[in-house]
Order: sequence, then C-alpha cells, then structure tokens
Amino acid sequence: MGDAMTRKPAAVRHLHVGPEFHAEQHIHPEPTSFLEKYIFSKDHKVIAKQFLWYGLFFLVVGGVMAMMIRWQIAYPGTPFPILGQLLWPQSGGVMPPQSYAAFFTMHGTLMIFFAITPILIGAFGNLLIPLMIGARDMAFPTLNLMSFWTNVLAGLCMIVSFFVPMGAAAGGWQSYPTLSTLVGSPGHGQTLWILGIFFTGSASIMGAVNYITTVVRLRAPGMGYFQMPLSVWGIWLTAILNALFVPVLAAGVLLLFLDRVFGSHFFLAGAAITKGGGDPVLYQHLFWIFGHPEVYILILPAWGIVSDLLSFFSRKPAFGYKATALSMSVITLLSMVVYGHHMFVVGMSPLLSQGFMTLTMLISIPSAVFFLNWLGTMWRGSIRFATPMLFSLGVVFVFGLGGLTGLHLGAISSDIYLHDSYFVIGHFHLTMAASVLLGAFAAIYFWFPKMFGKMMNDTLGKWHFWLTIIPITIVFCGMLVVGYGGMQRRLYNYEAYEFLKHLHPINVWMTRAALLLGASQLLFVGNFLSSLISGKKATENPWEVGTLEWTIPSPPPHHNYDEIPIVLHGPHEFNNPAVAGKDWLAQDEPIGDEPVALSAVGN
Amino acid sequence: MHQWPFPWLTTVDVSRDGWRAEALFWYTTLLCVIAFALVAFALVYSSWKYRARPGVKALYTHGTDRKSFAVTGILAALVFVTIDMNLVRVSQADVKEYTYNWPASPDTVRIEVMPQQWAWNIRYAGPDGVFNTPDDVVTLNEMRVPVGRPVMLNLKAKDVIHSFYIPNFRLKQDANPGYVTRTWFQALQPGNFEIACSQMCGWAHYKMKGDLIVQPEADFERWMKEAVGDAKRRFDPADREQLWGWEWVQ
Amino acid sequence: MAVTRFPVSEQSRQTSFVGMVMALASWTMLFVALFFAYAVLRLRAPAWPPDGLQPLPKVLPFLNTLVLLTSSVVLHFGVRPEAEERPGALRRALLGTLALGSLFLALQLAVWVPLWRSGFRIDTGTYGSIFYSLTVFHAVHVLAGLVALAVLLPGAFSGRLVSGRASTVRLSAMFWHFVDTVWVVMFVTVYLV
Repeated sequence: MGDAMTRKPAAVRHLHVGPEFHAEQHIHPEPTSFLEKYIFSKDHKVIAKQFLWYGLFFLVVGGVMAMMIRWQIAYPGTPFPILGQLLWPQSGGVMPPQSYAAFFTMHGTLMIFFAITPILIGAFGNLLIPLMIGARDMAFPTLNLMSFWTNVLAGLCMIVSFFVPMGAAAGGWQSYPTLSTLVGSPGHGQTLWILGIFFTGSASIMGAVNYITTVVRLRAPGMGYFQMPLSVWGIWLTAILNALFVPVLAAGVLLLFLDRVFGSHFFLAGAAITKGGGDPVLYQHLFWIFGHPEVYILILPAWGIVSDLLSFFSRKPAFGYKATALSMSVITLLSMVVYGHHMFVVGMSPLLSQGFMTLTMLISIPSAVFFLNWLGTMWRGSIRFATPMLFSLGVVFVFGLGGLTGLHLGAISSDIYLHDSYFVIGHFHLTMAASVLLGAFAAIYFWFPKMFGKMMNDTLGKWHFWLTIIPITIVFCGMLVVGYGGMQRRLYNYEAYEFLKHLHPINVWMTRAALLLGASQLLFVGNFLSSLISGKKATENPWEVGTLEWTIPSPPPHHNYDEIPIVLHGPHEFNNPAVAGKDWLAQDEPIGDEPVALSAVGN
Repeated sequence: MHQWPFPWLTTVDVSRDGWRAEALFWYTTLLCVIAFALVAFALVYSSWKYRARPGVKALYTHGTDRKSFAVTGILAALVFVTIDMNLVRVSQADVKEYTYNWPASPDTVRIEVMPQQWAWNIRYAGPDGVFNTPDDVVTLNEMRVPVGRPVMLNLKAKDVIHSFYIPNFRLKQDANPGYVTRTWFQALQPGNFEIACSQMCGWAHYKMKGDLIVQPEADFERWMKEAVGDAKRRFDPADREQLWGWEWVQ
Repeated sequence: MAVTRFPVSEQSRQTSFVGMVMALASWTMLFVALFFAYAVLRLRAPAWPPDGLQPLPKVLPFLNTLVLLTSSVVLHFGVRPEAEERPGALRRALLGTLALGSLFLALQLAVWVPLWRSGFRIDTGTYGSIFYSLTVFHAVHVLAGLVALAVLLPGAFSGRLVSGRASTVRLSAMFWHFVDTVWVVMFVTVYLV
C-alpha cells in the first residue's frame, strides 16, 4: 500500500498520487438474490453484459431491416423470403412503400441509439472504465443500473411504435419537421419515437455523468490522464460529448413533442398555418448541433480501442500516445462547431456555410495525426494476426476510406450535388457503421475472455473477418458509386426516374454483398454462443498485455481488485529493453529495478 | 463540354455550371485515391514486413523523438495544405462565381416553385412581370425554360420540406414551408430532363417526378405566349387556391 | 474487505460533487438549446411581440424573481458550514425555501391562468409556444427541486442532517440554485428584453 521503496538519491522516480488514493476503496455488497445478481445489478460488469445482449439484439433487428431494404431496391416487387409473408400478407409478401419508409427510419434509429451506443458505450464503457483505471466499480453504481433500465424503457417505446395503427415513425431517422409533425406524420409512431429518444437520451446522460466522474475521481494511484489506456480516452471523450450534446437533441425533440401533442408552433409552417408560424429549419439546427458530435460519440470509443489493440498486437508502444490522445480531444472540441455541413442546401447564409466548410476541413489535421500514429505503431513492430488485430486493421482500412469521402461532402460545391444521395450513405456507413462494427467485433473478440472466462475460436474469427470486410467494402463503396451516379436516398424504387435505371445492376451486386454480409454474421453468432458454452478456459492474461484488467482473474471477482493497484507507467510497455524475460509489462509492474517513491498529493 | 471519368455512370451534364461540382468531385477523388493508395500500401507492406518472426523483436519507441514528431507533423500539414486548403479554395471560388452569384440580367427567367406532397407546382410571372396575378402561367410537374438564358428559382414548399433536384444540372436546393429559398441555373442545350425530389417528404417521395423541358428560345417564347393566353382565359377570381404565389425574392 | 455502506468520507463527497457539476452542465445545455430556439424564432420574426399580441405582464414575474432569489439566500444560510452551530438552522432554511418555492409556483399560476383564459395559449404562434414551454418547463424543475428538498425534511427534523456537509443536502441545494439561475436568465430574456 504505498510503502516507498529504497531511495537512491540520484535516480528516484517520484510518483504523484492522484486525488482518490484510497486503497480501501469501498464497494457495494455482493448481491445474493437472483434479481440482484442478474436483473437489477449495480455491478458494472453485469450491466456491461446486459448492454451487450441488448445492443446485439437490436443489431440483429436493424441488420435484418437493412437486408429487407436492400432486397426491395434490388428486387422490387418480389416478396421477401418468409418474413415478407409474415409481415405483409395482403401484398403477397412484398414490402409496401409506407413500410419501406418506416424501415429505413427505424433502421437508422435502432442502429445508432440501440445497437452502437449500447455495445460500444454501454457495454464496453461499463466493462473497461473501472477495470482499466484500477477501480472497483463506477462512481455511481445505482445511477448505472438506472441508465440500463431507462434504455430498456426506450427500446420498448420503439418496439411498440411498430404495432400502433399507421405504424412506426417514417420520416427518416432525423425526423425533420414538418414531415414529423402532425402535418406529415399523424399517427402515434412518431410520438413514441420521440419518447424513445427522450428515454435513451436520458440514459446516455446518466451514463455520461457516471463515466466522466469515474475517470476524474477513481483512477488508481499513479494513473495520470496520460497513463490511461487510449480505450479509456476514447470512451471518456465520448461521455463528455454525450453529456453536453444529447441535451440539445432532447430540447429539439421536446419542442417537436410539444408541436405534436400540445399544438405549439415551434416548427410548424406552410399552408397549414395561417399566421404565427415557426421555423422547421430551426429543428435542423438543433438536431445537427447534437448530430455532428453524435457521429464522433459513436466513433471515439472504436478509435481508442483500435489505438490500444494495434499496440498490443504489434508488441510496440502506441506511437505518439500523447499526440493521439490530444488529437482525439481536439476533434472532440472541433466537432462542436462544424454541424452546418449537414445543411448546405437548406438555404443558410453564404457566410455561415463557408464558415462551416472551413472549420470542417480543419478536422483533417488531428485526424491525420492519429491515423499516422496508427501506422507508426505498426512500423517495425512484431505483428501477431489474431482476430482482434485483423478487425483493428479492418477499422484502419474502412475508416481511411470513409474518412476521405468526407472531403467530398465538406466542400460546398461538391456537396450540393452529393447531398441526400447514396454517396452520403456510403460515407457514413464506412465511417460510422463499418468502422464501429469492426471495432466492436475487435473489442468483443479481445475482451470476451475477460468477460466470460473463455476464449473464442480464433479460426472461425478469421473467417468471420474476411467474410465481413469484403462484402462491407463492396456494399458501401457501391453506395459511393451510385451516389455519384445521382441516386437519391430513401427511394422505394426508381421506376419513376429514367436517369436511375442504369444503376440497377450495381444495386443488385450491392444487395448480393449485403446478403452475404448478413449471412456471415452467423459465423460470429455461432462462435460466440459455442464459446460461451464450451470455449477453452481463459487464463488471467491470454493476450499478454499490460493494462490493469489483465492482472486479475477472468472473469474478475465482484470487487475487481483485491488491492487497488499502484500504476507505475503507461499501458504500452512492450519490448522495453530494460525488461528481461518477456515482451510486455503490466502497468503495476516496475520496469527493471528502478526505485519509485510515492508522494501522496491532494488527499 | 467537359469529359469526366466514367460518364456512363451519371447523367449528361447540360448546364453551364455543373462542371464545377464534377471538377471538384474528381479533383478530390484523385487526391483521395493517391492518399488512400499510400495508406493501403503502408498497411499491407507493414503487415507483411513486420509480421512476427522468431528472433526478431519489435522496436521500442513511443514515437516521441524529434524525427517522429517531424514526420507526423509534416505529413499532417501536407495533407491539410495540399488537399483541404485546395478544396476550400476551389469551392469558395465556385460559390462566389456561381452558387451565390444571383443573376440580375433582364433576360433572366424567373420561376416560382411550390413543391407539395407529391407534385411540383410551377409559376411564371407572365407579361406583367409580377407574381400572383391573373396573367401568371401555372403548370403542374412541368417546367419549361429557354436555352442559354439564366433561370432563377424561388422555392417554397406547401406542406413539408422537399428538395428540387435536376441531375442533369448537378443542382439541388431544399424547399422549406414558410420561407423562400433560391437557386439558379442555365442550360447549354435543349432536351427533356427530369426533376426529382431529394428530401424525404412522405411515402410517395420516390415518385415525385417532374419534367424539365429545355427549348430553343423561339419555341419557348411561342409556348409562353400561348400559355399566357390560356391563363388569362382560365383565371377564376373566386379560386383563392390558384393564387399560391408570393412576392419575388431576388 | 467490502464495506456495507458508502462511508461519508471526504472522497465520496468530492466525487458526488463532480457528478452533480457534470449533471448540471448537461441540464444547462438543455436550457441553452431552448434559449437558442427562442433566439432564432425571435430574430426571424418581423416584430416581437408579433402583430396583434400584447407584451407579457412584468410585475408578478418580477416579484417571482425576488421570491426565488430570496429562497436561494434562505437556503444558503441553512446549508453553509456555520449552520451546524445553530440548531435547527437547516430545518428552518428548508421550510423557508419550500414555502418560497411554493409561492413562486402559485404566482406563476397567477400569471398563466388569466393569460390562458384570455385566449393567449401555447398555440398562439411562436410567441405563445415559447412563453408557455419555457416557463412551464422551468416550473417543472422548480417542482422537482421542491421535492428533492422536501425529502430532506425528515433527516433535518431528526437532527441527522445539519448542514451541506451531507452530500444529499449539498447536491439538492446546488440544484435549487441552478433552477434559480435559469429563472433569472428566463426573466430577463422572456419578460424584460
């Protein structure tokens, strides 16, 4: 517990101990009843699993919806196998246009708020933050429990919305008014969507407050901000953006709710309003002030995780660790002032549009820095191609591709043509869906042993990787192509337009790739389930890496650490010449014989 | 006429200014392809060359030495200066010379467009040059313009947000309910082109198609004369709905 | 090894303070977004109040501002460390704040009801929309604050809670001051300017 080691006057390394140096860190009592253990748990590790099941469930729902959307585009007028007959018997199993609109709306909504957010932020945020900073649990375990169950309430709102008369919200996932007001969406589906967003937003804010406070207050002694793993950096920055910008979304949908339910006039305008009309574009401002930070919210955890995994599997320190952490922070800040690039064709003033364009382009600089640092990490490494590494490399690939297409969209005069086209869909799927999904898979394969005490099958994992990355690249690069060709978003079919018919063969290939992508995920499901049941037992540190969670058993006990560790260096001490006998070093292991003195500061 | 790669992929560009979007798109693509090729090469090469081999240790470096900072810094700055700043420069010229450079010449054709679920209402001012008067020519789903003259649009949606999209002109502009937005274009050759909606506006968004008919000047004037005559004859002062136009916003 | 309750140590006090600051930052952004919406709608309107509508009453809202500010001062006297030396200080401060807070809500009703009855409603254009949504939304937060303070009463009466040194008291007081601050901004931007 903080005994200073022998002091050698000339070469002592002084270790500054953080604000919560408190070896006897409290922990809530171990639960005894089934309800407390598995349903209403306050343990961050259990809540992490709950978020994982929850997110994977909606990933499947959202994914199947995507398959059905692609089917309709490629094979219009043909019934979707099995599910089609179940859902639309009256049209012979063929998806009607109203359902198509609801499907693309809810596909986006579910994937963003109910798949990516719960998996990357809910599950991995909860799992990793306390473990990687050497804490017993989050700062506010009860708040953590409330965050999960509030999310479940949100999910219920969304599911119920499918079954009300007139169906689920169908105005696009952004739900722009006036289409999303009673003028364009008279049913309850849109109102339930708003409630669902409100609940999931509240859950995100609760989680964000928890994550931020935990990182600020509960880091183990010796773990300064620049000794934290980059995974924690990514999740922490995400939490800051969540705390500050989800409330703006809440405000926007609150006003929409008031327009729908109480007849206010925030966004109502047009022929239906004789006087005193509001401004529908105001919603777009509010939405995108949230919406742009949101895309960084979704990708930052994956960036952080990949930064760590590249180091782990190259057996080399993360290249430019501090620069990467700072770049991610700069991007976090910049993300707050670029939102107008989503609105270049709305009719904003030229000055505003040009300002947003310039600020948007600035994001290239920090992005280039951490991207180059990824490559620098691999340079002269000793790379092991286990499944988590393959998926991390996959992220580098698809994010590089997708990020570059942001340039086409950030410049006003190219954006005017590409706005609301499939080019945009290709761009954000590459950067947001593909990168985040591959990052999520990397994280799952990597931390599965710690969560469940078993290893996943690496061979199946590699097949899963190749059968995922190839179709993903085909589908979303295909979108870039048909988008350039002029195809707009959200089209049920293109029988009305001559100018789109020649793009059909490309669309068919994209659908085939999408269906293959969907089918390949069965490899993952099979691997996941069979490993849960009968996977090889995992040791404490099967990957031989130095972050703190690998110094305790797999899975960890309720209280995580018997003694709060004292952190002596950063998380990427691989192949340090001063270390003998192995090529890695745990964060609480001293480097060689160096003497360390602890000075408790700010207790 | 400009030549762009893969012309079969997209529609023929008949506009005076559509080349700008194309030029910037392909310029950006070229720079991105070069950048990505370098990245992909680095990825594949590193994966092969630095794969784990017995007896070969990874280099222990945190990348914080001066050389590393210099390389990273210079590369990042290079990316920004050669790519981003160039794109901004080109785009700013485009918007100054075209997008926000509203035509003010007297031969500009002015048209008011009121999209609704799911059709395009089009209005011409007629001989008196004032909108919302009995001599206005009003059409549904059909916009006729002359070749070689600037055409400026005022757009205001009736119900929900729509977006006026003419692929052959590489042009889009949102139409919002409640206030007027503007755009303009000029056709270089005659033909029949399509108007599409490019903002989700309800379940029938996918079939909200209109026709843009570009005619030689003489044909256009002949059509206009006939249409004005029809309009004056058919005007019904009791029909308030007919006068959906608004005072022109230049 | 495991402790049954969180010990009321300095560490967990500071932790809950950090958490509350973050939560208030979040809430602030919510109100900032609402004020942003107000600003946009007002700046785009040709006239404010719009044609045919009366300006809002000022006297009662001004009184209400004084009521809330007083309540914050009153609460502060029961929460600050010196309160521990005066028995019953927290108890009196809580009761005073609850009374003043309830008076605030009553006066708000006294503003809303006549306006509503006179035909000025939430659907009276953007003016009505902004007025009612902002003030009612704020009032909901006042109510939440009152509930949070009322929950402390049993502890204050039993002598278990004597000042803001207890986290529950301190955090509830922070929330109350926050709600008060939002009102001041609202009063100035909605009623005065």
